[in-house]
Amino acid sequence: MQETVVKFEHISMEFPGVLANDDVSLDIRRGEVFALVGENGAGKSTLMKILYGINEPTGGTLTVRGERVERFSPKDAIARGIGMVHQHFMLVPSFTVAQNIVLSREPRKFGVLFDDRAAVSEAQRLAREYALTVDPTAVVREISVGLQQRVEILKTLYRGADILILDEPTAVLTPQETDELFAVIRRIVREKNMTVIIITHKLYEVMAISDRVGVMRQGRLIGVEETKNVNERMLASMMVGREVLLGRLDRAGEAGEVRLAVEKLNVCDDRGLTAVRDLSLTVRAGEVLGIAAIEGNGQSELLEAVTGMRGAQSGRVLLGGADVTGSSPGARRARGLSHIPEDRIATGVSTAASVSDNLLVGRHRERRFNILGLHQKTKAVRDYTQQLYDEYDIRGAGVDTTVGSMSGGNMQKVVVAREFSLDANVLIISQPTRGVDVGAMEFIHSHIIKKRNEGCAILLASADLDEVFRLSDRIITMYEGEITGEFAADAITKEEIGYYMTGSGREEAQYAKAQN
Amino acid sequence: MDEILRHIFSAGTFNQMLRSATPVALAAMGGLLTEHAGIMNIGMDGMILMGAFIGVLGSYLCASAAMGVASAVLLGVAVGLFFALFVVKFKSDEFIIGCALNTFAAGLTAYLSRSIFGLSGTSGHDIAHLPTVHLDFLDAIPFFGEILNDNSFFIYLTWGLVALMWVFVYKTPCGFWIRAAGEKPETLRTAGISPERMKWIASILCGICCGLAGAHLSLGYLNGSFVEGMSNSRGYIAFACVIFGAANPAKAYIAALMFGFFDALGYRLQSYISSDLTSIIPYLITVVMMVYVVVRGQRKKTTLRTNTTAQKE
Amino acid sequence: MQRRKIDLGYAASLLLSIALAFLIGALILAVSGHAPLNAYTEMVKGSLSNARHIGDTLEYAMVLCICGLACAVGSRAGIFNVGGEGQLLLGAVVAAQVGVAMEGSPKIVVIVCAALAAMAMGGAYAFVPGVLKVKLKVNEVITTIMLNTVAIYICQYLAKGPWRNSNPNIIAGTENLAQGYWLARPIAGSKLSSAIFASAVIAFLVWYIMQKTSVGYEMRLTGQNPRFARFAGLKTDTIVILAMLVSGAMCGAVGMFRVYGAEHIFKSSISNEYYFDGMMVAMITQYNPAGIILMSLFFAFLKIGAAGMEANAGVPNQIYLILQTVIIFFMAAQRGIAASVRAAAAKRTAQKEARARLAEGGARNG
Repeated sequence: MQETVVKFEHISMEFPGVLANDDVSLDIRRGEVFALVGENGAGKSTLMKILYGINEPTGGTLTVRGERVERFSPKDAIARGIGMVHQHFMLVPSFTVAQNIVLSREPRKFGVLFDDRAAVSEAQRLAREYALTVDPTAVVREISVGLQQRVEILKTLYRGADILILDEPTAVLTPQETDELFAVIRRIVREKNMTVIIITHKLYEVMAISDRVGVMRQGRLIGVEETKNVNERMLASMMVGREVLLGRLDRAGEAGEVRLAVEKLNVCDDRGLTAVRDLSLTVRAGEVLGIAAIEGNGQSELLEAVTGMRGAQSGRVLLGGADVTGSSPGARRARGLSHIPEDRIATGVSTAASVSDNLLVGRHRERRFNILGLHQKTKAVRDYTQQLYDEYDIRGAGVDTTVGSMSGGNMQKVVVAREFSLDANVLIISQPTRGVDVGAMEFIHSHIIKKRNEGCAILLASADLDEVFRLSDRIITMYEGEITGEFAADAITKEEIGYYMTGSGREEAQYAKAQN
Repeated sequence: MDEILRHIFSAGTFNQMLRSATPVALAAMGGLLTEHAGIMNIGMDGMILMGAFIGVLGSYLCASAAMGVASAVLLGVAVGLFFALFVVKFKSDEFIIGCALNTFAAGLTAYLSRSIFGLSGTSGHDIAHLPTVHLDFLDAIPFFGEILNDNSFFIYLTWGLVALMWVFVYKTPCGFWIRAAGEKPETLRTAGISPERMKWIASILCGICCGLAGAHLSLGYLNGSFVEGMSNSRGYIAFACVIFGAANPAKAYIAALMFGFFDALGYRLQSYISSDLTSIIPYLITVVMMVYVVVRGQRKKTTLRTNTTAQKE
Repeated sequence: MQRRKIDLGYAASLLLSIALAFLIGALILAVSGHAPLNAYTEMVKGSLSNARHIGDTLEYAMVLCICGLACAVGSRAGIFNVGGEGQLLLGAVVAAQVGVAMEGSPKIVVIVCAALAAMAMGGAYAFVPGVLKVKLKVNEVITTIMLNTVAIYICQYLAKGPWRNSNPNIIAGTENLAQGYWLARPIAGSKLSSAIFASAVIAFLVWYIMQKTSVGYEMRLTGQNPRFARFAGLKTDTIVILAMLVSGAMCGAVGMFRVYGAEHIFKSSISNEYYFDGMMVAMITQYNPAGIILMSLFFAFLKIGAAGMEANAGVPNQIYLILQTVIIFFMAAQRGIAASVRAAAAKRTAQKEARARLAEGGARNG
């Protein structure tokens, strides 16, 4: 048996109001590739940030190479030989590759000057030693994401790391780049006896690269297995497998005409990389189309492009038959679209405004709320918002309090109340119950189904598979910006869906498509 | 016409350009550090003004211009610390603090000047000022010799400082850290270096540069006198130079020279065109430059995007 | 709609800041050989002792207040207008020239034309950075600072050049305004003019628009969270530009008031960075309209009182700038200071707890 290099014992990490890690005990061994998997918010990154000294745990002990860690800071972690490649790269865009690699331990000449030549040759030496080809004199801003990641890895190697943490390293990579990365990981583990911890939620990658795998769910470590003893389906059910607390909801009516159509849509993410690729779908009146996908596979960009918050590179979005591809969010709303956004605080509400202000927007120009489009009728507004407040069972200190002071669940109810009261016939819903308690969840679900039964066309995306199953009539799975499968909700199991979500089913799906 | 041109492009104009540019350039050397560190420092005007006053006061009390400069430098350290305390430690709005610092400096220096030197200010008091430097070998060079000779020591010091600052920013580890602190502080933090500390350093160095600029203004440029509000928006000009020069010391110095040139040109052209109109040019150019930088940045992003898309497909 | 409740903590720190400012002021006074109490008494007398002083105080408060509100209008919609000084000066110089050019026309016509011209000028000058911000995302703070200086020079050029006064003793000033066009002065000898009524109307309108109308509501939402506003279907670009236009027009109007009410000529004394003072009033009162009015009165009291203090106690009047900025420093750092104090306290408790734990452990071991 190999020696243990990192030992987590009963680690807990509590942020205000959130228990991100709950009594986690885990051993990492020298010379292994350990994969840490779990859904978003399962606590993987938090645990690794403890190891890298960014978070100081609120309970438990951490031991690295037999020494108990007392001081938590990146500086101390680096000194212990720990390196971390963050999901969002920690590179200075205007510096060259070599300058980024040596940052904080620059080679010097005359004691004070930065020795650029030494930095470049050092970078070259490392690049050669680990076979990570980069141009040390290139400016980081101008190189591809895959190369930037190499720079990140070289940086940790330069700092003398032999325990390497990779936080979702493949999220931003193309398949070819992913293959190259894996080759690098295998090489450094085999030849340099390094230890690699890789955070991911792509299960086939776990199978491809890791020796052991740990599954996290809701802050707890559910299990640790030898990778050779498990398969993707087992991991998927460990990852998403929470008991179904809630039964299915009553449905009525048949799907009607097509209300929303997306044709060959291509959308870029914030970095300018293609996030949605030639995607087409339709949603009919009186049906819920659920998107099952792991975060970062283009579903957010897709919904934003549909609602007008993000421009499309090519393709069309049709609302009730009318092309709205270039229209503003306001113009789409005028055509009967409503939207519950993924991030309620950034997009869904104004936290500084009152509940009343937040509930009114969208209808505030209606005649009943103002005189001559100018003077706002305080009483009419108040009566209306108070009515919504009661109807949607929002609990707080009344319609005059600021939304920012409310709990997540009530904030979400404010969003739901506003969007559902707008008499829309197309509803775009993203993560409707994230961070919401079970009571509010039940409430929001029943309202979604009510809207469906009333004939709304609903497009729903959620990271919570149970939710997708409970609400959808049809389910599509998305992986890397493409649809990998489409199913009737009652004709497929959660495990199978999980299989398609992780990209594993893609080849089969493509094969099936080719067969048809 | 020929006559006019000869008048405009005389050695005297370029000498005046150097003289006008120097206080601005000195302050800009400090301003570019805070700019690199990610602090929008519009409080430089106040820093210069206080430096100018303390310079005169130090020189007056110690009867030595050198002591005046030394006290201005010390004051610069104090003001830099003060600025960083509020902006970095208390995380106050750097804009409010900068504005308030300018007003504070105007009030404090005027108050102290009247309390110490009386209503008429420093005129009538004998204050040691900085000598000009005469280099004999320059006499031999026509035109350029005339431009470069018989200047305040600070003009030569500024050249040194520009070079030094360039080396500091682009050639020393500390310069790298300051730039990283402004551009991407998390990078520095995950490398175990405190970006806040870099901001403190930048802020203190900026205070020193502005103190020097002030001392030069009162002890060199105006031969040992303090006039209320004598910084005369030079802090804002320095700020414009920093923006214009993209916080590069050499470019910022060129920008300062440009201001100096238009300033000198204004004097020369007084009989033909209002100096007020020539003074506008640098500010307008700065605005145009900002638009240009943004537009170019957007275009770059678009090309990058199409490139990566093409790469993937 | 929603009225912000008076934040007790905020009010307390404001009062504390003012008290500290006066304390520091007293220290400076004492060190420089003045009796603080006497000086402060003269300050109160200087601004409040008779109708003329009160009039001057109100006139300056009016300037601060409209400038502050102009800043608040922009900030509420999420754009920061630092260029008010330039808009004010350009408005003033245009208004002055309208009065000169239209000499002979009836008073009411001239005044209305001058006011409209000043507002149009101010608005137009604010429009440019507004559009640059919305369409190209060019930082409006820097562009407006630059445009301020441009405006100062343009005004100087106009006042020295094409529009200069025929009296050679006035170097940089426009032609004097015919006395018939001067705004009425309710208090003899004071600079206060009927412009204060117009200002009151403007202040009321701003408050009304911001708080009670659909446009104000949209501006507020845009300023609070522009992404949310766009998401909710508002035309955020138009709203931001509109706010900038209104803000600029208000600054232009202040310039007109200064010319027709106080100075009767355009010269450099029209504004000595008054907009910056107004802007700081707005910032430390967190853009609250009522707060701006009160704080403007207080700052005007300091400034006008300081003049009386200089005349009667021999204290250089600039002490008011020191008092004013010390208040601003404290208010700007209010949250940071509170956080630092809290952090220090937390650290002390943690240390105490650790020590107690240690002692406990030691006792158990022993």
